[in-house]
Amino acid sequence: MAVFEIASFGAIVVLVVLGLGIIASMMGIFNFAQGEFVLLGAYVTYIVHTAGLPVWLGMLAAPFVVGALGFVLERLIVRRFYAAPIVAMLGTYALGLIIREIVRGLIGGLYLSVPEPVGGSVAIGGMHFSTWRLVIIVITALVMAGSYLLLARTAFGLRIRASLENPALARASGISTNAIYGATFAFGAALAGLAGALIVPVFTLFADLGIRFLIQGFVAVMVGGIGSFAGPVAGAGLIGTLSAALPWVISPVIADVAVFVLAIIFIKFRPQGLVAGKGV
Amino acid sequence: MSQDANTLSRRRFLGNAALFGTAIATGVGSWVIPAGWANAAAGPIKVGVGTDLTGPMGYAGNADANVARMVIKDINDAGGLLGRPLELYIEDTASNESVAVGNVRKLIQREKVDLVIGGITSSMRNAIKDVIVSRGKTLYIYPQLYEGKECTPYLFCTGPTPAQQCDEFIPWLIKNGGKKFALPSANYVWPHTLNVYARKVIEANGGEVVFEEYYPLDQIDFSSTVNRIISNKVDVVFNTVIPPGVGPFFKQLSEAGFLKNGGRLACVYYDENTLSINQPAEIEGLASCLDYFKALTPEDPFSAKLQAAYEKQFPGNFLFAAGSAATGTYRGLKLWEAAVKEAGSVDRDAVAKALDHAKIAEGPGGPAEMVPGQRHCKMKMYTAVAKGGKYEVVARSAGLVDPKEC
Repeated sequence: MAVFEIASFGAIVVLVVLGLGIIASMMGIFNFAQGEFVLLGAYVTYIVHTAGLPVWLGMLAAPFVVGALGFVLERLIVRRFYAAPIVAMLGTYALGLIIREIVRGLIGGLYLSVPEPVGGSVAIGGMHFSTWRLVIIVITALVMAGSYLLLARTAFGLRIRASLENPALARASGISTNAIYGATFAFGAALAGLAGALIVPVFTLFADLGIRFLIQGFVAVMVGGIGSFAGPVAGAGLIGTLSAALPWVISPVIADVAVFVLAIIFIKFRPQGLVAGKGV
Repeated sequence: MSQDANTLSRRRFLGNAALFGTAIATGVGSWVIPAGWANAAAGPIKVGVGTDLTGPMGYAGNADANVARMVIKDINDAGGLLGRPLELYIEDTASNESVAVGNVRKLIQREKVDLVIGGITSSMRNAIKDVIVSRGKTLYIYPQLYEGKECTPYLFCTGPTPAQQCDEFIPWLIKNGGKKFALPSANYVWPHTLNVYARKVIEANGGEVVFEEYYPLDQIDFSSTVNRIISNKVDVVFNTVIPPGVGPFFKQLSEAGFLKNGGRLACVYYDENTLSINQPAEIEGLASCLDYFKALTPEDPFSAKLQAAYEKQFPGNFLFAAGSAATGTYRGLKLWEAAVKEAGSVDRDAVAKALDHAKIAEGPGGPAEMVPGQRHCKMKMYTAVAKGGKYEVVARSAGLVDPKEC
């Protein structure tokens, strides 16, 4: 029981952090609007649901809509910040703030429920397991494997890594780094959109859905290590599991703080993170 | 990246500075609704509303501002107060105490209002009450249900207190749920103080509190809590976890089979707004105790009239609901109106003296009267149960329930 619940929350955090980690590792940009991309994914699902269409359709549409928006935002705004990472943080934060407040206005600041496509729970030996959380664990595993294959095994993944490692040489070899950055950012945004779509039945739709995960996401990226694909994912798994597991043994208010304290201590002794080095 | 794009020209700087200056001077986010016939001899009476129009509490604050607009319009249409029109000043407290203090100060110092009504969270009340009451020398009405113990002079509370929400409700829960209570709570002042009172009432009625636990306000995963509730065979979950946590919490509870095993959810801030947080099946049987439910409209003609008038004027997302202080705002303004009539002036001491024992014969959910010396309000209380996504009123207090404060 406990193991399932903890694993499911771990999976949720991994799913949310995946896009953040890819953008941070492959582009060197800390995207503070990532939480709002998650929110937008959730919002798209809600819109599709209120239009009377099936929820799974919304979940399917969310990554594409959010990915497209990410692409446009990268073109218009984010690419102007590549030279100055600190400014990029502030810029994307402002972007996130704008998206968040617009969505808050659109949903009237309320908390709205979105039903899951597969609801209910599976009872095994008197214990009930949420079906949807089971689905999330499976999809997270699939998305993780898919993203890994995309980055490690395809020509496109190779170009992404080349643009990260040595942009000048990549350009000299005929790779359009601009296009690659746009695509990578859109891919990261799409993953966030997917995450939002999948978690909205669990956490309900509200304007602050995204920032709830943003801080956790950044701590996960720090703990995991920037520069690789595996790092943020490992960090997210660790942070997610820890923050779901600690309340079982100590008071939840203390557990909330303890996760961050442990993360800080860890980074102090291993600043390069769980997975050091660049690559996949 | 071109260099000159980043250089700030003097023209641009001056332009921005002028814009910024204008924004500060005019105050973004303030609304004035002048009375239509402001030619009376003494000038209009000024009513100030300071509430959360933006931010997380915006859904409630907008409803409160709407109620104030409706009440002031009604009073003006009926000829005003003491032969003078009312003028409404609405300031945004933005769900943010530091913004709020500045904006409320504007109401006091610039507009010189005769009354301030508003504030939703207790932290907001505590932040703005000093500005209004002691430094501002103005009357303050706080309309939201809250944890009690607010006994500042010139500060009147028109929402339900723990006594009003527990005294009749908890015996009902024990009869219709069971004796074993769990108190999962958000970690701030309202749940802490309410739980002290609730625990007393639970134990006095033969129930027991199996566990009481507090969570960070933004916690949204409650697997360990749910596990403890199920394994302790709790009968009643008396919840004070607030959004955003409450939705996932109730969902996890129902997925773990709490409702199927006959468990009862109880939550005293749950109104029509919060119903939409979960799917109907996840909160089937949830019980709440408030001063008003929309489900009362078939049996109470005055409430029906009020509800219809509100929905006609303000269709949309901001509901006329008890948990967002909308009913308390209505009650507060009408009690104040009665007090001003009795006092024959808007002088603070005279109005406060009259407000101390003011009564209204009709209001949302029934009549209301201030308890002399307590600055809190006696009102009827109702217990309602969620069935298929709607409330059904299952119990009504015999008369007006005492707030038992101060």
